[in-house]
Amino acid sequence: MQKQDEELVNVTINGKEITAPSSLSTIQALWHAGYPRVKSVGCLEGVCGSCRIMVRRKESDQVTMALGCQTLIEEGMQVNFLVFPTPTHHTYDLKMINSSWEVQGRFHKIFPEADHCRHCGGCNRSCPKGIEVERGVALASKGRFREAGELFIECVMCNFCMTACPEMIAPNHVGLFSRRVTAYFHTRPGNLISRLETLRKGDLDVEK
Amino acid sequence: MSKNNQGTAYKEALNKYCALEDIAAAKETLTPEVLLKQFHPDYFPNSIINLKVGANKGEACHGQLAAMLQSDARIDESDLAGAPILETDILVIGGGGAGCAAALMAAEAGARVTLATKLRLGDSNTVMAEGGIQASIEQGDTPQMHFDDTIKAGHHFSDKELVAEMVMDAPEVIRWLIQQGMQFDLDKYGDLLTRRAGGTSAARVVYYRDYTGLEMMRVLREAVLNSNIEIIDYSPAVELLANESGHCAGAVLSSLKDCSYNLVRAKSVIVATGGIGRMHINQFPTSNHFGATADGLVLAYRLGAKLRDLDSFQYHPSGLSHPQHMAGHLITEGVRSAGAYMLNANGERFVDELKTRDHVSSAILRECVEGRGITTPDGAIGVWLDTPGLELREPGMLALRFPKLIELGKKSGIDPLKVPPLIYPTLHYQNGGVVIDPNGLSSVKGLYCVGEVSGGIHGKNRIMGNALLEIISFGRRAGEHAAANCHGVKHKKISIEHLSDLRRELTQANMPMDLQGPLLFPECAKFENDSDYDGLHKNR
Repeated sequence: MQKQDEELVNVTINGKEITAPSSLSTIQALWHAGYPRVKSVGCLEGVCGSCRIMVRRKESDQVTMALGCQTLIEEGMQVNFLVFPTPTHHTYDLKMINSSWEVQGRFHKIFPEADHCRHCGGCNRSCPKGIEVERGVALASKGRFREAGELFIECVMCNFCMTACPEMIAPNHVGLFSRRVTAYFHTRPGNLISRLETLRKGDLDVEK
Repeated sequence: MSKNNQGTAYKEALNKYCALEDIAAAKETLTPEVLLKQFHPDYFPNSIINLKVGANKGEACHGQLAAMLQSDARIDESDLAGAPILETDILVIGGGGAGCAAALMAAEAGARVTLATKLRLGDSNTVMAEGGIQASIEQGDTPQMHFDDTIKAGHHFSDKELVAEMVMDAPEVIRWLIQQGMQFDLDKYGDLLTRRAGGTSAARVVYYRDYTGLEMMRVLREAVLNSNIEIIDYSPAVELLANESGHCAGAVLSSLKDCSYNLVRAKSVIVATGGIGRMHINQFPTSNHFGATADGLVLAYRLGAKLRDLDSFQYHPSGLSHPQHMAGHLITEGVRSAGAYMLNANGERFVDELKTRDHVSSAILRECVEGRGITTPDGAIGVWLDTPGLELREPGMLALRFPKLIELGKKSGIDPLKVPPLIYPTLHYQNGGVVIDPNGLSSVKGLYCVGEVSGGIHGKNRIMGNALLEIISFGRRAGEHAAANCHGVKHKKISIEHLSDLRRELTQANMPMDLQGPLLFPECAKFENDSDYDGLHKNR
């Protein structure tokens, strides 16, 4: 697929030295070099959160978190693929929350650590989507779930923030909880409800 | 790919391009039938062959898929000696939207549910869906119109009973999703916003930005993780198991973690393995997930399930063509629905942008073949999706409604507000699949197939928003039905004896048997043994 005259670069991926065309992502570079890789590969479009990598670029001492399918290789780049973490210990069932008045109280029982945020900013720095994770947690803690949820629109549940959090807050799950309770309690579209009512009465049918 | 390199060079075409508020509509010169026959990839010469073995023996099938359907199995009896057996009521294979919906419904009905997935829970085409989900909820729209649009777009090949059930389910499906915690884009009064799909008569697609699938999948995944459903991840199913009378009774899973085989004995099995895009039918790029390799079709076919429409695939009109490393990435039909035009190298519109997908894709292929395409230095070709023109007519709308497109722009270095993306059809969907009844049950007892792996709903062409509807509608139906019918079922013996019949048939038909299926992973990954727990290593 690659053309002959394309620029080749040298990178290190999980300790292996690889030379590949610069137009390839880190995942494509592994395949190109003959390393079969299927775990940590998903949508290849940056929405599934599977291909978690740590990246250090040439002449930089900064390590950043990124998605492997979204990161093109560069000369001297060091890449490490990370195993996907075990799921969070937080569990809840939306049906057990009786009304929207109870959500904030239940939230603190489900996510007791959310109040312990040290404002270290690790979650913000680790987010490959640039989400204001820490602010989202603070908003959820105050019961401002709709506002908190809006911050997590782009969240792909890669769990980087969960790994980064020293207090085990699981910020991405806090964000998703915020979004889910907003829909569960407050999304009540008139056009949908009206159509459901018409259907319930049996007023609409399909002639095949 | 029947690309023609005669066209206008990218730089020259871009210099000529200018965003305009208004551009005259296209004049259609060919009838839709002629356009499809001349240019649609389903009609490429010599691509379709007749199957030689199985329930569809003698019927038409794309050659690449036929090779996989008539491949040898990956395992035989000796591989299963001493393999541990796990017991459950219902085994769901596949962790996308259909599998999660089925599992949630079955678990809610009290069944013991095990969900096995090739990679992680949620790794699926669902998470990548952008455009939205169809439900007739607006005044002036009806389930009947939804039905008529679906049948017409599918060129009257659909199973009408399945379509009727699905369109009547649609509003309840949206309600169910909201109760799982899924958000939708709403107007200022809280009503669901709708957009119109190509080839339909009303605005009927509800959506969440161009992240509808991402929003759906993260919510369903969270619901499954918070239930008592047992998840077995990194474990592709390599064969189904049957009892002595051929009733599906479980599956053989192959663990990617330790390369071992595990048997799951189940009262019934729900296959929700998705589509086929990563087989790159007709060598097209694809918008599909890494795991979309037709596994379920192969497993079901070997157990005797009847399939249909195996010669019909969907090529989505707006796949990205440039830059090369992102070829095949999808730009949602929602952008055309919102009013974006498509332009050829001469800056002309050449088709009504909101015709059905097969029609629009054929028109793009015609422009490219007939020299009105735009060619890039690395050999790609395409036409413009005129997003800057739309920005001119509706300032700010792209940024508000299509954040994924804006992200795509950053990644590709082509800002869609200023420069039109170059697009070319991308392999998007398998129109056919396993024949099912309204409960998702296949022609094999105990075997349900739901979502993209099933066939019959979309005929020979699917409309935007019917895939997300189908996976939830039929996923829920199969989960409910399987749970209600698992009481008292007991399989004495479970085996892979059907493989002996398969191998005999293949030998009698003089088939090569040098290929093993299911494919599991695309060729580009060179998968034999995965290697991230003990460090990277090359294939032996």
